[in-house]
Amino acid sequence: MKNIQQIILFSFLLLLNSCIVQFIPETDEDKELLVVEGLITDQPEAYTVKLSKSLPLGRKNVAKPLKGCIVKISDDMGNTYSLKETVAGTYVTDPAKFQGTIGRWYTLHINTNTSYNNLNYESFPMELKPVPKIDSIYYEKKIIREKDEISQALEGCQVYLNTYDPENNCSFYRWEYSETWEFRLPYDVTNRVCWLSNNSDRINVKNTSVFEEDRINRYPLNFISNTTDRLRVKYSMLVNQYSLNEDEYLYWEKLQNIAEQVGGLYDITPAAIPSNVWCLEDPNEKVLGYFSVSARSSKRIFIKDYFQGIINLYNECISDTIPGGVPIPNLGISVWVIEYINDAMPPSRVVTENRGCADCTVRGTNKEPVFWKEGK
Amino acid sequence: MKLKIHILILLLTLTCNLEAQEKYQISGDYKDLSFKEFVTRTESFFAVNFFYKDEWVNDLKLSDYPGCMTLTCVMENLLRGTSLYYYIDDSGNIVITRNYAVKISNAPIEKENNFIPPTDYPDSGENQQMTGNAFVEVGNPAERYRPGKVIISGYITNRDTKEPVAGVTVFIQKLSTGTISNEYGFYTLTLPRGIHLLQFSFIGMREKKFNLNLNGTGEMNVEMNSMLIPLKETIVSAQKNMTLQRFEVGAEKINITSFRLLPTSMGESDIIKSVLLIPGVQSVGEGSAGFNVRGGSADQNLILLYGAPVYNSSHFFGFFSAVNSDIIKDVTLYKGGIPSRYGGRISSVLDITSKEGNRKEFAGNAGISPITTHLMVEGPLIKDTLTYLLTARTTYSNWIFSLIENASLQRSRASFYDFNGKITYDLNKNNKIDFSSYYSHDAFRFNSDTVYSYDNNIFVLKWRHFFNSRFFSVLSINNSLYNYDISSQDVATEAFVLSHKINSTGLKADFNWFQGRNEINFGVDLNKYTVMPGSYLPASDSSLVIPHIIEKERAWEGALYIDDKFILTNFMSINVGIRMSTFYSLGPGSVMIYDPEYSKSRSTIIDTLNFKSGEVSSRYAGPELRMSLNFRVNDKSSFKINYNRTRQYLHLLSNSTSISPTDTWKLSDYYLKPQVGDQFAIGFYKMLFKNSFETSVELYYKEIKNMVDFKGGTKLIMDENIEKDIVNVKGKAYGLELIFKKTEGKIRYSVGYTYARTFIKSIGNFSEEIINSGKWFPANFDKPNDLVVTFNYLFSRRFSFSSNYTWSTGRPITYPVATYHISDKILVHYSDRNKYRIPDYSRLDLSFKVSGNLRSRRIAHPNWTFSVYNLLGRQNVYSIYFKKEGELVKGYKLSVFGKAIPSVTFSFDF
Repeated sequence: MKNIQQIILFSFLLLLNSCIVQFIPETDEDKELLVVEGLITDQPEAYTVKLSKSLPLGRKNVAKPLKGCIVKISDDMGNTYSLKETVAGTYVTDPAKFQGTIGRWYTLHINTNTSYNNLNYESFPMELKPVPKIDSIYYEKKIIREKDEISQALEGCQVYLNTYDPENNCSFYRWEYSETWEFRLPYDVTNRVCWLSNNSDRINVKNTSVFEEDRINRYPLNFISNTTDRLRVKYSMLVNQYSLNEDEYLYWEKLQNIAEQVGGLYDITPAAIPSNVWCLEDPNEKVLGYFSVSARSSKRIFIKDYFQGIINLYNECISDTIPGGVPIPNLGISVWVIEYINDAMPPSRVVTENRGCADCTVRGTNKEPVFWKEGK
Repeated sequence: MKLKIHILILLLTLTCNLEAQEKYQISGDYKDLSFKEFVTRTESFFAVNFFYKDEWVNDLKLSDYPGCMTLTCVMENLLRGTSLYYYIDDSGNIVITRNYAVKISNAPIEKENNFIPPTDYPDSGENQQMTGNAFVEVGNPAERYRPGKVIISGYITNRDTKEPVAGVTVFIQKLSTGTISNEYGFYTLTLPRGIHLLQFSFIGMREKKFNLNLNGTGEMNVEMNSMLIPLKETIVSAQKNMTLQRFEVGAEKINITSFRLLPTSMGESDIIKSVLLIPGVQSVGEGSAGFNVRGGSADQNLILLYGAPVYNSSHFFGFFSAVNSDIIKDVTLYKGGIPSRYGGRISSVLDITSKEGNRKEFAGNAGISPITTHLMVEGPLIKDTLTYLLTARTTYSNWIFSLIENASLQRSRASFYDFNGKITYDLNKNNKIDFSSYYSHDAFRFNSDTVYSYDNNIFVLKWRHFFNSRFFSVLSINNSLYNYDISSQDVATEAFVLSHKINSTGLKADFNWFQGRNEINFGVDLNKYTVMPGSYLPASDSSLVIPHIIEKERAWEGALYIDDKFILTNFMSINVGIRMSTFYSLGPGSVMIYDPEYSKSRSTIIDTLNFKSGEVSSRYAGPELRMSLNFRVNDKSSFKINYNRTRQYLHLLSNSTSISPTDTWKLSDYYLKPQVGDQFAIGFYKMLFKNSFETSVELYYKEIKNMVDFKGGTKLIMDENIEKDIVNVKGKAYGLELIFKKTEGKIRYSVGYTYARTFIKSIGNFSEEIINSGKWFPANFDKPNDLVVTFNYLFSRRFSFSSNYTWSTGRPITYPVATYHISDKILVHYSDRNKYRIPDYSRLDLSFKVSGNLRSRRIAHPNWTFSVYNLLGRQNVYSIYFKKEGELVKGYKLSVFGKAIPSVTFSFDF
């Protein structure tokens, strides 16, 4: 629905010579709010609760962890589990002692340290709901621009997800994915083949309560455009599917409504979205984030295909060609050799001033991910 | 152009009392006296008064009239051979008329409630209309010396079209008294007997003056002439004294002639845009449907077309008004002082009065601009009895899409069209029937195979019946339907059609009774509503969408009202009215009962109440008091006080800053209480410099109970139990409105300034239902300072220039104030609601009109309008939004019109 409006407006705005100009607002807020990010699943692993403080707008987005808090999880059977702070602001469970169980209700308890505000926070009890397996993940090539006399065609890749719950237990879903792709430098250098990973930064939620079956077909999970080199060699995506209860679904949906659908004439009035965590001493205090309790299922997909018009990020590497024997100043500091031309007279070396062109580890890692061989 | 006076005189009777006249025996020498000297002398000798115009008698000199010893004899000799006539009544008034003599007859006194056909005076030349005042005798002279005041009343019609003219100011300068003709062109005045100078004036019409000799109660019907007959759209004239006369504080009338002068936005005259120039009326920004009146939300305006409510008043989502300006006769906006015959919305009433077809001959108008084209035809089917008026308008904007160098938009389509039709039939003198219909359609198809469309459909049948000249009724039945559909075939398994519909049927009986010093208006207003909140259906066989239909809502709204405009003294009048409104929401339906300990949500439902078909599920009732007092300080200034209460049972659910295309209508129900508004207003009005300047100051304070707001971030479409997303809020607004207008001459201008504040306060009990910690916060449309300046220069009949300038404080906005991370997502936290403001708004528009030819015999009269919207090209900020770009959150300003928008419209009358 919102998309329709967006398109309508976009087209009107074009008609009307409307314009969009960058703008930095001046605000006078400097309060740091507690941010809770917690996730308990049904998988046998350590669960983390991250506590941090919000950042004023316009500053660098480096999270400010909240150290030294007491964090506990209790369930509806009267058990309590303490979490240990491993990294600053990150509190983890011991997988040997605690694993989420379907149908159980969990509550998060936080006591912040004295350096923050020394208050007690608690979440609402959250039920762990079951989740079905992901039915399939698949992709389709999408033409971004048709081929014409001057330029070649451009293609992107749309990844879809199908899921189906024959038991009709789960009607609220959330997905997160982690992308990994291989990229290669066009020169014969030592670190030529590397891998890069990235986590989804969009909110993906869907509810099937309006559908006849608990079935989701062709959910458009991710669109990979030709302006990255994700699709040049080989690409993989690990998708985690989470079950949600209604309250958490509404939280993500509201967040999505105000966070991702902006810039039109009929935007939903933005507002602070209430968390399921609240302050015992001062219920009016705003808390950000959510304590999620979800079952999880995962699936991985590989894409190794030819897409037209994928950008070459290493087009403009060559800075100079220097004949052999001539010393290269600052070699290895600001100039790197990427190619030796031995059949020319005199033999020469092609150099770059961009280290990323000479060493792929500038962007990624040269360690092959363990799962990489799975997808042929 | 030949001009005639048409004066209808009822009870034109006179007995010639020769004896009375002979008592004025002239003595002494009057030879060589000028007429004026003679008058002075005669008036000092006898108890007589002369009425005449100086310029008629300047050259008049008396000579020796042998044997002439009586006043009548002298007068007869003196005026012989001139175009002047005289008349002496039995109380000593001597009236000089030019070009015609007053008809004197001994007609028997007729019953008051009979109409007498118009008495046409012989054509008396063009000058007479300009300089002379017709002389009219009303009432039986035998009643002349009876005690008490008498009533003069009648109908004012347009000479050319025979349509009644509403809003004509009828004024008697000497007595500082007057009135305004009502929507049927009827006026009534209570006056002392004697001779009065009666003025009739109205925008775009030639002013008429009559010397009225009032003997007793009677009628005088007047026909008025348009200023420029072939060109309806070139002249604006003063509505002198009109603001002084109106009872209401905050009623504004826009005449089509002045409205047509305004610069257009995209080549289309737009009624809503001209309403926005009125102080106290604001909008959220360009491209927002609807407007806000004195701190009310956009759904609190009752927009009436042919007397039926219009549920979506815009095309193209607010870029055009849905009502074609071709059909508009005039528009009245009640910002306050809403008459008790209107109800159902709390902030304002925008009553669009439509034209009736031309009664004499076929006529029409057609126009073309880069985006739209329109056509209007009118004429009689039976001359003077059965007329029609038809209009059509459409857009052909699709070609613009094909010009856009964007593959995804080239395939897009957007269109709208609308039709209006009206048939009026004069059954006989006492019965008049008209049938009006309106249909509008908007459709958009975008690349994504998603189609959005909406329709308005209105039918109105109206019967006016005149019981007698002082008592008449209007009975009308109307039906108004609004629906929208959104359908998508994008994903076969999710193909859907989503629809929303509201249908209302209204029955209205309205009675007007003029009795002595009272004008009593009473009636019944019944409305039946059916709302289909939403249906979500599979659009194809392969779709897995579960058909989901939210239960229909049904309700009755009924009201009884009565009000009385009562003239207490010459300087004070009072208007008191009451409207008793009731609302019944009917089954079948179910109501969820929530645990009162918690905020309402699906999980806190503890019970369900089921109502059978026709069973009343909730009922509301309450009185609405409407009062105003009008003190006339002197003939140049007046002072008014006003209070009114209004109740509203129908709400538009909107979660966005302005009205959005997917907003839905909702009836009051078990949880949603009616909104109640109370407004107090005072106003002071003064005419300056021989009435050529109109000034006014108005102050208001308003409180609104049971307003509706929503929990942050909720979507309202297809919401089964909307009460769980509602936050109860109340509102208050206050403001000062100043107007300074020059309304005469070739150069005309106006300056309007408004200082207005609007605040909202949440009154919920649970944290989710509290906005800004329960404190007062500014509403979305709270723009404290608002300045509107208009300037018109009418070079000649063929050329006119007009411009308007608007400046206002930027509207409030909720800014993001902090960012935070959740699993690699950067999220934004927002400030308190509406804590900040966008930059100020300012815009200058110009337009230049050229009328091709003034000759009335030409078959078609072409007109060109050149207009530039936003001449300064200012990028007025509509909204500010924030986008994550990589690791940074960046702010952007969005302007709807980034440049000046020129347009050319060609139209011609035929």
